Amino acid sequence: MKVEGEHIFKGTQKQVWDLFRDTEVMATALPGTEKMEAVGENVYEAVMNVRVGPVAGKFSGNLVISNENFPETYTMTVDGRGKPGFLKGVGDVILSDQGDGSTLMKYTGEVQIGGKLAGVGQRLIDTVSKSIINQAFDILDQNLVERSAAEAEGREAEYQGASEKDYAATVAKDLVGGVLSAPWVKKLKGK
Amino acid sequence: MTYKVIGKRVKRVEDPRLLTGQALFVGDVSLPGMLYAAFFRSDYAHAKVISIDISQALEIPGVVGVYTAEDMGDDWEPGPPLVSPPPTLENVVFNSRRQVPLVKGKVKHAGEIIAVVIAESRYIAEDAAEEILVEFEPLPAVVDLEKCLEPGSVLVHDDLDTNLAAHLIQNKGDYEGARKEADLVISRRFHLDRGAAAALENRGIVADWDEKNQHLTVWDATQSPIPIRNGLAARLGLRTHQVRVVAPFVGGGFGPKIMMFYAEEMVLPWISMKLGKPIKWIEDRRENFYATTQEREQIHDVEMALSKEGHILGIKQKFIHDTGAFNPYGLTTPLNTQSHSMGGYDVQNYYSDLTVVFTNKTIVTPVRGAGRPQGIYIVERMLDIAARELELDPMEVRRLNFIPPDAFPYDHEIIDQAFATLIFDSGNYEPAFDKALEMLGYEDFIKNEQPRLRAEGKYVGIGIVPFVETTGVGPYEGARVSVEPSGKISAATGVGTQGQSHMTAFAQVIAEQLGVEVSDVSMVTGDTAEFHWGTGTFASRGAVVAGNAVNAAAGDVRLKVLKLASKILETPEEELVLEDGMVRVADKPDQSISLGELALLANPLRGAVEPGTEPGLESTKYFGPAFGATAFGVHGMILEVDPETMMINIRKYITVEDCGTMINPLVVEGQIHGGVSMGIGNAYYEKLHYDENAQLLNASLADYLIPGSTEMPHIEVHHANTPAPNNELGTKGVGEAGAIPVPAVFAQALENALHDYDLEILETPLSPNRLYELLQKKEDNS
Repeated sequence: MKVEGEHIFKGTQKQVWDLFRDTEVMATALPGTEKMEAVGENVYEAVMNVRVGPVAGKFSGNLVISNENFPETYTMTVDGRGKPGFLKGVGDVILSDQGDGSTLMKYTGEVQIGGKLAGVGQRLIDTVSKSIINQAFDILDQNLVERSAAEAEGREAEYQGASEKDYAATVAKDLVGGVLSAPWVKKLKGK
Repeated sequence: MTYKVIGKRVKRVEDPRLLTGQALFVGDVSLPGMLYAAFFRSDYAHAKVISIDISQALEIPGVVGVYTAEDMGDDWEPGPPLVSPPPTLENVVFNSRRQVPLVKGKVKHAGEIIAVVIAESRYIAEDAAEEILVEFEPLPAVVDLEKCLEPGSVLVHDDLDTNLAAHLIQNKGDYEGARKEADLVISRRFHLDRGAAAALENRGIVADWDEKNQHLTVWDATQSPIPIRNGLAARLGLRTHQVRVVAPFVGGGFGPKIMMFYAEEMVLPWISMKLGKPIKWIEDRRENFYATTQEREQIHDVEMALSKEGHILGIKQKFIHDTGAFNPYGLTTPLNTQSHSMGGYDVQNYYSDLTVVFTNKTIVTPVRGAGRPQGIYIVERMLDIAARELELDPMEVRRLNFIPPDAFPYDHEIIDQAFATLIFDSGNYEPAFDKALEMLGYEDFIKNEQPRLRAEGKYVGIGIVPFVETTGVGPYEGARVSVEPSGKISAATGVGTQGQSHMTAFAQVIAEQLGVEVSDVSMVTGDTAEFHWGTGTFASRGAVVAGNAVNAAAGDVRLKVLKLASKILETPEEELVLEDGMVRVADKPDQSISLGELALLANPLRGAVEPGTEPGLESTKYFGPAFGATAFGVHGMILEVDPETMMINIRKYITVEDCGTMINPLVVEGQIHGGVSMGIGNAYYEKLHYDENAQLLNASLADYLIPGSTEMPHIEVHHANTPAPNNELGTKGVGEAGAIPVPAVFAQALENALHDYDLEILETPLSPNRLYELLQKKEDNS
C-alpha cells in the first residue's frame, strides 16, 4: 500500500524538524499511543492502540530514523506487530522552506499490512490511516504554536493530546467523505 | 417390478430433523470433561520461525496444555499424499509437498498453525493463544504464477530448487497439422482467480480417546470419514477397529472437506490420546478463509483453429495452475480443466500443456466444479470470439461441433482425473441445447425483444452455454442393506452426507427393490462403525457409485427374500410380488408373508441353517465403474446491466440438465439451484483478493460477497434423460453441474448486454467494480 501526502506547518524548517523529532510531541499527536521512547540513537520503541473498523488491538514495534539530512529530509522505518496483525513501512519525509516562515512537509512511503488488519480491516484502512495522519497534523499544528508561545514566554510547553472522541469523529467524517466523493455518487447527484 | 418410487418427487426424509434442530452436527457434540482447542496461526504468509514462547499462555488459569511441532517428536510428519499423478502418463514432473500438522522452521502460507492451546473453555483457549509470543523473520512472499518460475525467485520449499509443483502434456491428434488447414486461428489469454467454498458450516472436530476401551472416536465435519479413520489409525499406531470416525450431518462440503488430513484433523486426536480427554474445536469464519482449501486460480494461453464454417479443427492451450503452498490433492483439479477444455465438442486435435506452481497462498484442492468451470469457460469464450470473427451465429457454431449421438462412447484419448482414459459414455446434446434455446425464447429475444429494449435505452443481454461434466468415477463404494424383524429396512453406506439428500434418494432405491415405503428405510451414511469400506463424497459420484452399490445390495436382499418366501409360500419366485412390506402370491392376495416374519425365519434361534447359506436378509455389495458417466447440461440467462452502477438484474434463468435417470427430481433441482447460486458467486461476486505479500484482503463475509436470496433469480429447470449405459440405475452425477457453466454464461450475456462497448471478457470472477474498470479501460483506449 502506498501512502503519500503533504501538509504546511506554520513554522520554520528547524522548528518543524525539532517538533517531529520530539517523541513527547509525537506521542501526543498519534491517537492511541501508549508509549514512545528512545532506546538508542535514532531508534524508538512504541506501543500504540489501533482501531480499524472491527479490528482493534495493541501494536508494539520499532521506529528507526535514518538518512538524516538536517533540516530537510529523513527516512522513517516502522515495524510493528500485535494481536491485530502486523505493519511494516518505509517512508521519506521532506521538509521545504516556503519562504514565508512556513514549511511544506511531504511524505511518501510504502506500507505492508498483514493478519486481521489486512484480512478484515483492509476496506477501512485507507481512510483510517488518512484520518490518523490528518488528525496528527492538526494536533502538531496546535503544538507547534504552543511550543513557539512557550518558548517566547519562557515557560514549559503544555502539549495537547489526541482524544479518542476526536479520532472517532474524524474517522466517521472521512468515511462519509470517501463515499460522497466516489465517481458513481457524483454521477447520480448530477442526474 | 410394479412398485415405482425411483423418479418420484419424494420429500426429503431428513428435513423434519434438520428443520426442527434435531440433527446432530459436530457443533452439537458435547462430552463430559470435554476440553477446547484454539490455534495460534501465522499472520505472515512466508516467514521463518525464530522462537516460540508459550510460557505466558501456560500461566493462564484453565489452560491444560500448549503444543508446538517440537512436542510431537517422531509423531510429526507431513500429511499423506492423497492423490498421486496418473501412473500411465509419461514424462510427468511431480514434486509432492504436503501440509504439516504444526509449523516447523518456516511458515508457507498465512493461517498455518504454530501452536495449539488446550483449555477448559474456548474463551480461555483463545485468550491464551493471544499470549503466545513468536519471533518471526518475514520473507518475501511467492504470489505471482509466472514470476515464481523465473530464475532467482524466492522459493516456497527450500528443499526444491524451483516453485514448479508439476508439469505434464496431454496430446491428441496433431494440432500443428490442423492449424495449417485452418481458415481462422484465434489466441487469447485468460485469467481465472480464486474463490472460497464458504460452506455454511465451517469445519469442526471432536476427538475422544477412551483409555480404558483403548478406542478413539472422532466426530469430523468431513466428506471422507473412512480414509480419515484409516489414516488416523496408521498415524497413531492403532488398529482400524480402534478408531471410529463419524461424519454426522454436515452443513455443506463443496470439496474442501475432503482434503485429508487438515492439520487440525491430525493434531487434535493426537493430543486427545496424550491427555485421555475429549477435545473440541469448531473453525471460525476467519480461520476458514485462511486454513480451508480454495480453488480456481489459473492463467491460460489458448489457441483455437477453425474452418470458415465454424468447425473446431483443434485446440491448443498452455496453462498454469496455482496449487498454493502444498499439493496433497495431486493433479485432480487441473486434469479436470484439461478434460473439460474441449467441452461437449468433437475435437480431434488437442494439445494441452499444464504447469502447476507452489505459492505462499492457501492450499488448493477441488471446490464444487473442480477445474471444470475453468475448462468450460475457456472453450465457450473461445467459441463466442470465433463466432464473432467468422460472423456466424454463436449457437449454430455450437450445434455444428457437438459430439453426435451415434459417436458415443466417445474416446477423448487423454487421461482424466480418475487415471482412466477420458471416455464420454453417452449423450444426446443437440435436442437438450435446442430445448434450452426454446425455453429462453432465444429467437424472439434476438429478433424482437432485445431491439425493443435497447431502443428504450436498456442494456439487456442473453447468454447460453452448454457444458459437460465427467461424473461418477471410481474407485468404488459399497452398501449394506438388511431387513429387520420389524419389517423395516436398515442400510448403511460409506459416503458422508453434506446436504445431498442421501437418506432420501438411497431409501428410494431400496424401497423400490423391496416394495416398502421410503419412510420404512433408515439410512446411515458417514459412520465408520456402520460401514467402513469406501472413499468419500466427491466428483459428483454419490448417486452413481454409492447409489448403484445400494441398488445392488437391495437387489441381492430381494433375491434372498424371494427365495425364502417361495419356499414358505410354496410358490415359484416368478409368481411372487413385493409390495407394502409383504411378499404376496400374484393373483392370490390372501397368500402372503411380511418381510418382518421372513427376517425372523431367516435368523432362527434353534434348528439348523442349511450349509452354504447365510443368516438374515442382509447383503453387502460394491460398485466400481471402469470409467465415469458423463452428464450434460445447458444454462441460459437474460440479464440487464445498470450502466451506472454495473449492478445486474437477472431477468430469466433456465437450465436443461441431463443427468441420466433421476432418482428424485426434487433433489436434482435442489442441487441445480444450489450450484447456480454458487456459480453466480463465482461469476460476479466472490473473489479472494491476495496482495503482493500473499495477504488475503477480504477475509470476512463483510468483504467477501456471497450471493444472497436477493441475487438469486427464479430458475426454470428442464430434465433431459440419456441414461448412463454402464450402471444399472442409469444415473449420472449432478452435484457440481449447477456451478460449472455460470461464469461462461455471465461473460457471454454481459458482452451481449454491453454490445455498444464491444467488450471482450477474458477473466473471471467479475464484479460490478471490475466490470466498471474494464469499461473504463475500453473508453480510455478508444
